[in-house]
Amino acid sequence: MNGHSIVVSAFLVAWVSASLRLAGPVLVAALGETFAEQSGILNVGIEGTILLGALASFLASHRTGMVWTSLLVATLVGVAANLFLAWMYVSVRASQVITGLVFNVLALGLATTVYRLALGHSAAPESIAVFQPLRVPVIARIPFVGPVISQPAPFYLTLLLAVVSQVVLYRTDFGLALRATGENPAAADSAGISVERMRYLGTLLSGAGAGMAGGYLVLAQVGLFRETIVAGQGFIALAIVIFGRWNPLKATLAALVFGACDALQLSLQIFGTRVPPQLLLALPYLVTILAISGLFGNRAVPPAALMKPYVKD
Amino acid sequence: MKLTLEMKNIVKRFPGVLANDHVSLTIQAGEIHALVGENGAGKSTLMQILYGFHAMDSGEIFVDSRPVHLSSPKDAIALGIGMVHQEFMLVQTFSVVENIVLGLSEGAGMLDLPRAASRMRDLSDRYGLALDPFAKVGALPTGVQQRVEILKLLYRDASLLILDEPTAVLTPGEKDRLFAVLNELRQGGHSIVIVTHKLNEIMELANRVTVMRDGRALGTKSVRSTSQQELAQLMIGRDVRLHAVKLGSRFGEPILRVEELCVADDADVEKVHGVSLQVRAGEIFGIAGVDGNGQSELAEAILHLRKMRSGRIFLAGTDATQMSVAERRAKGISYVPANRRQMGSVTEMTVADNAVLGLQRRYTRGLFRSVRDARHSAHRLAERFGIRGAGIDSPAGKLSGGNLQKLIVGREITCGASVLVVEQPTRGLDVGAVESVWKELLLARQEGKAVLLISTEMEELLNLADRIAVLFDGRIVGVFDAPFRSVDQIGLLMAGIAPSGLSTRLASQENRT
Amino acid sequence: MTKLFERRLAPADSPLAVAGTTTLALFAAMAVAAIFFRYYGVSPIQAYFGLFHEPFATLHGFGYALVRAAPLALVALGTIVSWRSGFYYLGFEGCFVMGAAAAGWLSLSTAPGARLGPLPFALFLPLAVLFSWTVGGLWAGLVAFVRVRLGGNEVLISLMSNYVARLFLQYLVSGPLRAPGSQPETTLLPRGTWLPFLFPGTRGHAGILVAVVAALFVWATLQKLPLGYELIVTGFNPAAARYAGIEVGRRMMLAGFFAGGLGALAGMAEALGSQHRLMDGISGNMGFVGIIVALLSRLNPLATVPVALVYGGMAVGADAMQRRASIPSSITFILESLAILLVLASDILRFYRLNFSVLGRFKWRVSRSQDPA
Repeated sequence: MNGHSIVVSAFLVAWVSASLRLAGPVLVAALGETFAEQSGILNVGIEGTILLGALASFLASHRTGMVWTSLLVATLVGVAANLFLAWMYVSVRASQVITGLVFNVLALGLATTVYRLALGHSAAPESIAVFQPLRVPVIARIPFVGPVISQPAPFYLTLLLAVVSQVVLYRTDFGLALRATGENPAAADSAGISVERMRYLGTLLSGAGAGMAGGYLVLAQVGLFRETIVAGQGFIALAIVIFGRWNPLKATLAALVFGACDALQLSLQIFGTRVPPQLLLALPYLVTILAISGLFGNRAVPPAALMKPYVKD
Repeated sequence: MKLTLEMKNIVKRFPGVLANDHVSLTIQAGEIHALVGENGAGKSTLMQILYGFHAMDSGEIFVDSRPVHLSSPKDAIALGIGMVHQEFMLVQTFSVVENIVLGLSEGAGMLDLPRAASRMRDLSDRYGLALDPFAKVGALPTGVQQRVEILKLLYRDASLLILDEPTAVLTPGEKDRLFAVLNELRQGGHSIVIVTHKLNEIMELANRVTVMRDGRALGTKSVRSTSQQELAQLMIGRDVRLHAVKLGSRFGEPILRVEELCVADDADVEKVHGVSLQVRAGEIFGIAGVDGNGQSELAEAILHLRKMRSGRIFLAGTDATQMSVAERRAKGISYVPANRRQMGSVTEMTVADNAVLGLQRRYTRGLFRSVRDARHSAHRLAERFGIRGAGIDSPAGKLSGGNLQKLIVGREITCGASVLVVEQPTRGLDVGAVESVWKELLLARQEGKAVLLISTEMEELLNLADRIAVLFDGRIVGVFDAPFRSVDQIGLLMAGIAPSGLSTRLASQENRT
Repeated sequence: MTKLFERRLAPADSPLAVAGTTTLALFAAMAVAAIFFRYYGVSPIQAYFGLFHEPFATLHGFGYALVRAAPLALVALGTIVSWRSGFYYLGFEGCFVMGAAAAGWLSLSTAPGARLGPLPFALFLPLAVLFSWTVGGLWAGLVAFVRVRLGGNEVLISLMSNYVARLFLQYLVSGPLRAPGSQPETTLLPRGTWLPFLFPGTRGHAGILVAVVAALFVWATLQKLPLGYELIVTGFNPAAARYAGIEVGRRMMLAGFFAGGLGALAGMAEALGSQHRLMDGISGNMGFVGIIVALLSRLNPLATVPVALVYGGMAVGADAMQRRASIPSSITFILESLAILLVLASDILRFYRLNFSVLGRFKWRVSRSQDPA
């Protein structure tokens, strides 16, 4: 192999590997959000929930040093936070977009304040316990496949969750009931399904996904907590749900596309290009905008009752 | 299987209205029981209480002489009571079998659609309800969707079936098939309650009939011992025939002319196939037809609220085909839409603001809105049309249906248009409001306006129109002049049956060649 | 049997009921924030006093409150214009940044030796307003176009566009417009382009006047012009709007352009009046807090300036608290957002009637408002 192709293959390996790694958090958040939207709730608050999950996982890992426990804590914090959101969406019937948006500001305030409180006067820790990339003994040695496959455990968990979500949503009674709530809540109600209960569950599941995404970010990607660690990935997850047509497996593909865009910025550094880094950083957002602008292909048809509060009259 | 039902002294209040006023009703096993009344009589509310959709304020319900408490549809289903609503409770994107098993379980158990489908097939064979389990509901015609609804109930071992206005959306052929199924069910021991306002259907199908009016049940009669006339009188409470005094009129030039109009609906299905008509000054041109034959699409296309596929529209001689809504309004056309709350008004805004809806660019002084002129206009409308229930600075949503309609009709009549398109103007209105609206329409006719009146109520058309055209399946299949002697003919055409006995489709094809 | 909380048929909507539940909500928000104050060993009363004393009892602090209020009010006005027409635009962070960038670039171009050379302020200001407004208006108008013509979801697209705008500014201040040195920011803007200060000795600048003028302008448009009527109808009921001959798509795009322009003026005010340079993070989340101000003003343009003053004042007080007592200013984010969330939530309280008679001997019944019985 000549020098040029070595660089190219190094780039490709780095790029694909990073794509998978970066796709993880947005994917798990998108999976959770899929359940919410299929039940008729648009949960803009996942951006803030991811942040809260990230903080929770950071603090838990700092205190306990156990990564799996910390990931679980993050997930539970996400569920707890979304209990409030679910109440606002379903019982109070407040505007979903407004509530979610304001909640994100609240989450920022809470996360910043609690972080400072928890650190007290000590400096931020240098590092916390994190997930290491998995190294499967024989496969890890294969030239291209090896490094790409060596992802941290949460990545494989996320892939598993994608498959589980697909099965639950389309092959179980619960999934049928949930989807009915998002398509025609009156019909679901008439069939004896509690629309409120389904929407609560959908929102809590999105909270679980978002919380876990926060934990994923801290424990398997960045390694530390920053207030800017989410940077719009919650909104990207919302776009992934649309791009994936509210279907978990298609959302997985969409997430990989976004991961690839995100990773491009990191891996192009190998080439030492003169492209301003901000342009590459903006790429995922620009691609998202294009994807949901309606410019390409048939307009995605959302669940018919999305964002419409259900009132029995 | 057999089930008897007794509802005793049911009371139900909604904000501003007493929907059920100590209503009592008994249903016997193996009977078809009709529950009749006008719009707003309380029949649907009563049935929704029975189905557990609403909670009653007071009263008792007995199933097989045992007192029961129905707090949700689940309870009703468990007792063997099922309901087919006027608006189907079906998830359009699901298949037939998915809709049928919906709600039977919400757990983490896996769906077993093939098993459900085979049980479904057994039931559908037994009662003559042919259905493909895996067809997508959204792609099925209305009559077939109704079969899914009925099968849903049978799948859950319902013994008492409630059907709310079942024939409102059916073609005559579908109606016959439905009646056959209902007879089959009755013979199997099921009890059926049909909520309706169509008296002729009851006479041929039901065993007994209960009349409701203004929230009260007026008594139960056996169908054999009564007549349509008697039932109608009970329903309305006075002599049925409302007479409008219509003076002779000199018709002027045609102000509205429609040529070969073809219009598609939201699903891009063509609903209006080449309709041509013209309305002269000083005439009321009525369009008769069962809801769903293209009336709304026709009216909306004339106003440019819906794109037409082909055809031309002329207003006072000018080709208005390319004109926008605002331009057509400026040219002198106004519209009373069928949907008063979703299109004809903005319920969140005040009555005064609604009084100038569509006319906002006229009520100006210089660059600015003249709020004073708008309120003045609202006052005048309220006085002339007897609009009560809310001041002009209250949200229009507070007005009752009748008063809101009077506001809309009043606005469109007094805005100075020369063409008035009116769709279902008296739907859901009480008798007083109906008389009021009829009076104003006749006055508009007197003043030389051209009125296109689209209505499903024969009585309204017979009283008001100078000519009546029948719209069936998007085509004009017959035009009649006043005085209308052949009302039966009109009815047949509305059902799609041409005078010679052939279906109208064949008849009009013959005419074309 | 009467229950303690009896559900009404329709929500009580007298002004007393609304005021009552809103006040309750605000107190609840303050109580929650008080928990955090406690953690720092500060009594809540002291904390709230400190929060409001600096900005409203001292001239110096009041000046800063004006500084913070101006952009918040302008963003709130933009929110009102777009949301009331049914266009749920959330990209004010982006408009802010683009407006600031436009004004900053123009200002730098009037430095001696630069493209335009020094200009009299009377000429520069209208140019800056026009340029900022247009840039912001196009920025938001583009999203409106996508929504109206292509059917894209403006909520998500506008949220994404915020990040694009911020990155664009980051690029500008790290590259083409960067001042010599290692900081990603521009040089100080030419003194002749600064917005004038209002009171000697304070930093309160004329941006607040821009906000007041804008508020009156927005109010007049919505209430007094047929265009305003059409926008409001479009927002409430697009089908009825079309029925009334209103071109819904055009109105929405106009509203979007308008709203973007207002958001951009907020950025201009901050750049030319307060920071006097461009740097990364110039928006300080004001694009979102401004939306909250609009919500708390119940989408009424005349209320935006007072509410913005309160929120701006709180921010100033919070900074003072952070300096003096090391209490993180992020607590104000909690307070601000919780306030509006609880106000929204409190609306369901109006569905209930409180029956004190259940509690015992006292037979009087307290309704949450006048009962329209």
